[in-house]
Amino acid sequence: MSTVYSPSLPEDVAETPVSQPTSLRALLRTYPRVAVASGLLILLVLVSVLAPWIALHDPTATDASNALLGPSAAHPLGTDELGRDLFARVIWGSRVSLPIAFVAVAVGLTVGGAIGLTAGYRGGLWDLLLMRVIDAILAFPALILAIAIVAVLGPGLRNAMIAIGIVQLPVYARLMRAQVLSLKGLDFVAAARALGASPMRLIARHILPNLLNPLIVQISLSAAAAMLAEATLSFLGLGAQPPTPDWGFMMNTGAQFLNNDPWLALGPGLAISIAVFAFNWLGDALRDALDPRLRG
Amino acid sequence: MLQYLVRRLALMVPVAFLVSVAVFSLIHLTPVDPAELILGEERSPEAVIALRHELGLDRPLPDQYVTWISHALRGDLGRSIRTNQPVTKAILERLPATLELGTAALAWSVLLAIPLGTIAALRRGSPIDVLATGFTIAGVSVPNFFIGILLILVLSVDLRLFPPGGYTPLTESIPDNLHRLVLPAITLGTVTTAINTRFTRSSMLEVLRQDYIRTARAKGASWRQVIVGHALKNALIPVVTVVGIQVGAILEGALVTETIFSWPGVGKLAIDSIFGRDYPIIQGIVLMIAFSFMLANLAVDLAYAWLDPRISYA
Amino acid sequence: MKRPALALILGAFLLSAACSTGGGTTSVAGTPKVGGTLKIALESELRTLDPLKSSQRVERQVYYNMYDSLVTIDASLKIKPGLATSWQYTDPTTLQFTLHKGVKFHDGTDFNADAVKFNIDRILSAASSPRKSELASVKSVEVKDSSTVVFHLKKPDAALLAQLVDRAGMILSPAAIVKGGADFALNPIGAGTGPFTFVEWKRDDHLTLKKNPNYWVPGRPYLDQLIYRPITDSNAALAALRTGDIDIAGTNAIADKDIASVKSDASLVYKDTPGLSFEGFEVNSGSGIFADKAKRQAVALALDRAQILKNVFFDLHTLSRGPIPPTSWAFDPSERIYTTADVSKAKSMATGFAFNLKTPNTPGSIQEATLIKDQLSKAGITATIQVEEFGQILTEASSHKFDAALVGWSGRIDPDGNMFGWFHTGGGFNDGQYSNPQVDTLLEQARVASDQATRKPLYDRAQQILVEDVAYVFIGHGPAQEIASAKVHNFSLIADSIDRFAEVWKG
Repeated sequence: MSTVYSPSLPEDVAETPVSQPTSLRALLRTYPRVAVASGLLILLVLVSVLAPWIALHDPTATDASNALLGPSAAHPLGTDELGRDLFARVIWGSRVSLPIAFVAVAVGLTVGGAIGLTAGYRGGLWDLLLMRVIDAILAFPALILAIAIVAVLGPGLRNAMIAIGIVQLPVYARLMRAQVLSLKGLDFVAAARALGASPMRLIARHILPNLLNPLIVQISLSAAAAMLAEATLSFLGLGAQPPTPDWGFMMNTGAQFLNNDPWLALGPGLAISIAVFAFNWLGDALRDALDPRLRG
Repeated sequence: MLQYLVRRLALMVPVAFLVSVAVFSLIHLTPVDPAELILGEERSPEAVIALRHELGLDRPLPDQYVTWISHALRGDLGRSIRTNQPVTKAILERLPATLELGTAALAWSVLLAIPLGTIAALRRGSPIDVLATGFTIAGVSVPNFFIGILLILVLSVDLRLFPPGGYTPLTESIPDNLHRLVLPAITLGTVTTAINTRFTRSSMLEVLRQDYIRTARAKGASWRQVIVGHALKNALIPVVTVVGIQVGAILEGALVTETIFSWPGVGKLAIDSIFGRDYPIIQGIVLMIAFSFMLANLAVDLAYAWLDPRISYA
Repeated sequence: MKRPALALILGAFLLSAACSTGGGTTSVAGTPKVGGTLKIALESELRTLDPLKSSQRVERQVYYNMYDSLVTIDASLKIKPGLATSWQYTDPTTLQFTLHKGVKFHDGTDFNADAVKFNIDRILSAASSPRKSELASVKSVEVKDSSTVVFHLKKPDAALLAQLVDRAGMILSPAAIVKGGADFALNPIGAGTGPFTFVEWKRDDHLTLKKNPNYWVPGRPYLDQLIYRPITDSNAALAALRTGDIDIAGTNAIADKDIASVKSDASLVYKDTPGLSFEGFEVNSGSGIFADKAKRQAVALALDRAQILKNVFFDLHTLSRGPIPPTSWAFDPSERIYTTADVSKAKSMATGFAFNLKTPNTPGSIQEATLIKDQLSKAGITATIQVEEFGQILTEASSHKFDAALVGWSGRIDPDGNMFGWFHTGGGFNDGQYSNPQVDTLLEQARVASDQATRKPLYDRAQQILVEDVAYVFIGHGPAQEIASAKVHNFSLIADSIDRFAEVWKG
């Protein structure tokens, strides 16, 4: 079992062997969980996109005389320590946390995929060395490595994304490499290479399609892990910098003011939990739906 | 098997080297000067230069690395910049607190996960199962610092049932120690409970489908006899190995949990040292964690290889 | 206090009152109870117990109860006798001290002039020590007889006595220092003369001092034991105070936002007085955007200090008119031009520019910076908040790589300590490279003048100039606080924020 940051839940066990759904519609019908989980995720994205209209207040407008007020008609979640509307800040926070997750996963996917591809395709010394680098990354518990990288590069969202991307690398590297290795020996691949097919063509035609299913699952789970990692980094003060509304950082402030106004922590906390849950749920449901069955 | 072991160990050497260089350079590449940080308000240019010299920070980096690694191999990890304590001593002093917290977290997580996972497996598809499955996903989704904050809010600030943090050594007062242990242990153990519940459930489902279970039932054994006598034992084997891996998750969780609850373990030391630019401590902790992590992974892989001869050694 | 005769009388009086059965009009505060353990929260862990090496203000909390200095201060910040009973300047560069007789160190050795010379020489000859700059004016120390010691100065220094109140004037047992060797700083057994002796120090856990039975002030201390605990999280400190884990928390140990709940708690006591510190942000007048005085003035005019004091500090801090706080004899209460916000005037001076505001990575500072940013935006000035660790800010500030930095000053007893290093050309803390020859002259003159009557007008004038120049953007002065359980009695609150426990009793 690889030590990826996301505490990855083991797969569920199928009752009876199922055949692969042939279309998206069939998929959604057979596995309603996928539909519901996707729905939740789409809702979150919508909230993030429509933030300026939903939020009703400017998330950065301070109102120092009205600080730390509890929920009211004017402010559904109350105000924070500088009098800013908490609801607006939580809504706008999605515009920070969601894109970060996507970018971090993208970094991990492309760089990790490239490494795995090279290692698998070239083999030999390339494989040996690149996989040792992967092992070196895996030698650290993910959060610790992420913190260390951010501590060096300096706090900030950009560096947090880089750090989380690096931590995500190994999964995609291994995934890609395994797929390449399994295909390398096949006759038709050797034939294609002999005929002069370029590596890009092979990747596009044969490697990626087979990877699509596990990749989608992994991306969803990685996004969850990335969001959680970013929230933790920001909570520790290493991620988003003020006055950017970021859920993790808001919780840091919220923990300070717990005695005075618990909503400062509850609002962003619930937001993070719901968003990460959505990704994890989707990934879990997809894994049940897409992975070929017959276990035990 | 032996061949596998030797090969793995041999591969670990370059990795270990990479890790040590990474640890060293990561920390020394930051622009902050620990001498300035220590002197704080009392900084004057001469004092800073003198302190940097005293701490050995003005020597070229490769020199510092060689000194550090050669000492480290002998067990000497240098002295803390903030407190002047030997790093090894500082870490070992705090290890019991982290071990206590980690053990408590794992213990209650296993105690809760196994029954919960078993019941969910037995009543698959029922509301209990749905709830349990939902809980497992929620458990790995809710940030552990949020759980900690919630617990403090409800059980400490509102109900005043538990203190919001702090630590009393076992040698001083067992009841007080345990009283302060409750909230952080729950916080730290939530993630592993979720994972273990899920794993127990799927493992149990696997086992229940086996033919020998059906045979036993056909022979008239009650469900309880079947579960306790056969299913549980076999289902637990993979769970045990998974628990070993969760040491990594516990370590990560400890960083934040110990900080929130002011629990003086290795995790809190790491966070404090990062913000205090205490290079030797950060290097020492990360190195120790990385190496023990690598060894733990090796042990697990070996266990798998031993348990299941079908696993390839590639 | 350290006047032996008075203390003797007071001690005898109180002792007799304590022994008397029932009745009698004793002191207003009630009869001191002898004995008991006091648990104290420190805002962070100490690094060393050797005053020579000490660089953190929090360390002084322990030192003042373990070591005595040559001189002390009273609540009005006047210099009073300590280990020295009297002193005089025989000429402007010669300072003679008469020492207390019959005082012994905790290890039993005698306190005398040789011990004083040993300690001062130790500082003067140290390779590096934060104390050296404090004693920069001292050339040498001479032992006249066992209770007379003479300081020979390089030049007159009015601030020297104030320096000797703090760590530079603490006298430790030479025998203990030698015996302690390399680990002395971690284990200073028997080194002090103070009301409490060192017992043990378990890092990040607790530090224990116990009563000095042979303290040279008879009848003191009342308490048996002091246990110091570092509690960095203010929520944790408050909780500990409420549960009785802690009896007293030092200044700034409890966050300003929670003081209201301390005040409303009948089992707790809260008192404060303006402290010695000043806070706000330093500006780089030497280079960059703030080399332009008009821009500095615009920023100073646009700030709504009252709002900051209310929102960030919950009105527990006092509005600042300059570097000297209200508690000092050098305080000048005359109105300065930047105490209230005047956005239109600010815009007329300069508008439409941006600068970096380096902010320490603490919640309070970030909150303050965010509010400042907001206020300045109303005047068309854009402040970009750069959150960094405190150490990093100090590094960059001392190499003059900044526009503005939210760094304050904890303050010193003598006004020179709040001004010279900060505002004299080339001063050790003058990160902003402020340079004004008039101010330089005034500060230099005030430093060598010996009486307050001469020095005050010099400081008044210097403050007027540097505040008008906006050498620093002043916002407030922090308080010295007593935050304690109601069981703590006879605590005297002094502006230097040091918690002294010789006179305190618990009951």
